[in-house]
Amino acid sequence: MLMYKTEIRGPLIAGDKSLKQISEEIIAPIEAKTPWWWWGAFLTSLGMLGFGLYCMYLTVNSGIGAWGLNNTIGWGWAIVNFVWWIGIGHAGTAFSIFLLILRQKWRTAINRAAEAMTVVAVMCAALFPLLHMGRPWLFFFIFPYPNTRGPLWVNFNSPLFWDFVAISAYLLISASFWYFGMVPDFATIRDKAKSKIKKAVYGFFAFGWTGSSREWLRYEGLSFVLGGIAAVLVVSVHSIVSTDFAVSVEPGWHTTIFPPYFVVGAIFSGFAMVLTLVTLMRALYKMNDFVTNSHIDAVCRILIFISLIMGTAYLTEIFIAWYSGSEYEMYMIFHTRIFGEYAFQFWAMFIANALVPQLFWFKAVRRRLWVVFLISIIINIGMWFERFNIVITSLSRDYLPANWANYSPSWIEVGVFTGTLGLFIAGVLLFFRFIPMIAISEIKSVAKYNEPRHDHLKHSGHE
Amino acid sequence: MNNNLLIGVFPDEDRLVEAFEKMASKGIKPVEVYTPYPVHEILEGMGKKTRISHAAFFYGLFGALGVLGFLYYAAVISWPLNFGGKPFNTFPSFIVVALVATILIVTLLTLFTFSARAQIYPGKVVEVVHPGATDDKFVMVFDKTRLGDNETVLLQIISEYGEIEK
Repeated sequence: MLMYKTEIRGPLIAGDKSLKQISEEIIAPIEAKTPWWWWGAFLTSLGMLGFGLYCMYLTVNSGIGAWGLNNTIGWGWAIVNFVWWIGIGHAGTAFSIFLLILRQKWRTAINRAAEAMTVVAVMCAALFPLLHMGRPWLFFFIFPYPNTRGPLWVNFNSPLFWDFVAISAYLLISASFWYFGMVPDFATIRDKAKSKIKKAVYGFFAFGWTGSSREWLRYEGLSFVLGGIAAVLVVSVHSIVSTDFAVSVEPGWHTTIFPPYFVVGAIFSGFAMVLTLVTLMRALYKMNDFVTNSHIDAVCRILIFISLIMGTAYLTEIFIAWYSGSEYEMYMIFHTRIFGEYAFQFWAMFIANALVPQLFWFKAVRRRLWVVFLISIIINIGMWFERFNIVITSLSRDYLPANWANYSPSWIEVGVFTGTLGLFIAGVLLFFRFIPMIAISEIKSVAKYNEPRHDHLKHSGHE
Repeated sequence: MNNNLLIGVFPDEDRLVEAFEKMASKGIKPVEVYTPYPVHEILEGMGKKTRISHAAFFYGLFGALGVLGFLYYAAVISWPLNFGGKPFNTFPSFIVVALVATILIVTLLTLFTFSARAQIYPGKVVEVVHPGATDDKFVMVFDKTRLGDNETVLLQIISEYGEIEK
């Protein structure tokens, strides 16, 4: 494992820690008194969530006419936000799975936070199609079950149904993947806890884990299977989301570039959100020894790469619009998006996603935590504008000028979005407070790849 | 706790593995080894095999066939609908649902298999052999009745690499 002793990556864990120190330092925030800023942030996020719930109540009570939608633009902020949240929700599994397959050991410091974020983000995302149904209490109609209406089955050819299957599967799978990763860590907390209540609660969630060889053997088998199969899922889920657009004959939507463009975009926004979270973990919980500069550096470098792909995708869209010779495509891209009514959203997207992340080429930028934090937020805003750009502009200017319309969200739509932001922040705060934010057992298993601490290593065949 | 158990506690992975290999050369095998993270030498040395990936393959095979069969039944046999004269069996677009649903089936069934075979389930009451085994200690458990004459050799190996838990 000489790979990790080169200049490219720093040590995986700083501070030459013993295994005991590793468990204690990661569990410390759970054992410590809740800090004041946590309560402040938590109450604020609950306030946002409360406002969001009120707006959802108004939506359900008077129908989606409460939103700024019209006949032309039937998909407003709800779908923009849905795609945005789903994109963010891609990072968790992408992080765990792709870096697991590529045997990147530095993922161990970050995967837990990324997976937690995934689960909350997908929950936020799922709310929007549900509310968009108008009568969410009838949502079970979308399950293909033998019913008394024929039986009239759902349309298996519809991307909207594919989407439903994909999102539900993704939520279930990423939640179980996350949970089973935590079982050994819950056992660690159970065995270290001094209070009886804590022992009982974490003991319950630890599912009777002891760390025996028979458990680890099957656990490894399980991670292998789930890892392999979830990799396919990650790629397919956002491809399916893109078919919601790509199979409909709207200018700007009907393109074959959409599936890869959406998958890369999703991973891009997800990694940016991971970066936001880990910079916070460092700033608020002092996890500097586990999330080292070298980890931040690695994520920044990945973001440069993905940002280049994003830029290429934007330019490809523009080039193909011109090259196709289709006047509708050209009108959409040049007249509506680049120089038209929605130019602000287009350029916000382009600058934030394709240009700003290129600052990560500079070491000085990657080293400054607050700049990294700022850029990660800018990318997230840029990715929101990308979805706005796709959803709204194409609908507003289709083939028939008589259909053209403009759109601006009502305060209720903004409120629902605020509510999901509140849900996300609250979820992340609860995660920080009650769950080990770094995978303890995984980080211990890579501790030996740091500098050798004693001479036993050379006999045991680890070199 | 059972009086017939002998417990050896080791401070790190390397000493555990060395002791384990030395014991193996003398023909001694622990009943169980508890570690804070998976140690591959131990997992191999204990001689157990997991067939969870084979199980997952068959879940996937039958899951995919089942889902495709169901889609065919619903769209062709039970209630065929004419979408602009296209065939009832729109196989290419069934693949999407079949793929994702198969992944879901494999994941859930594999999780249940894991839970059943590794005996990991909610509400399980567990007898912790050594509280350090989920923290920083590597623990081997031996059955004294099965050791016979090897007990002194074993005690010597344990004290060389770790210590004996009283």
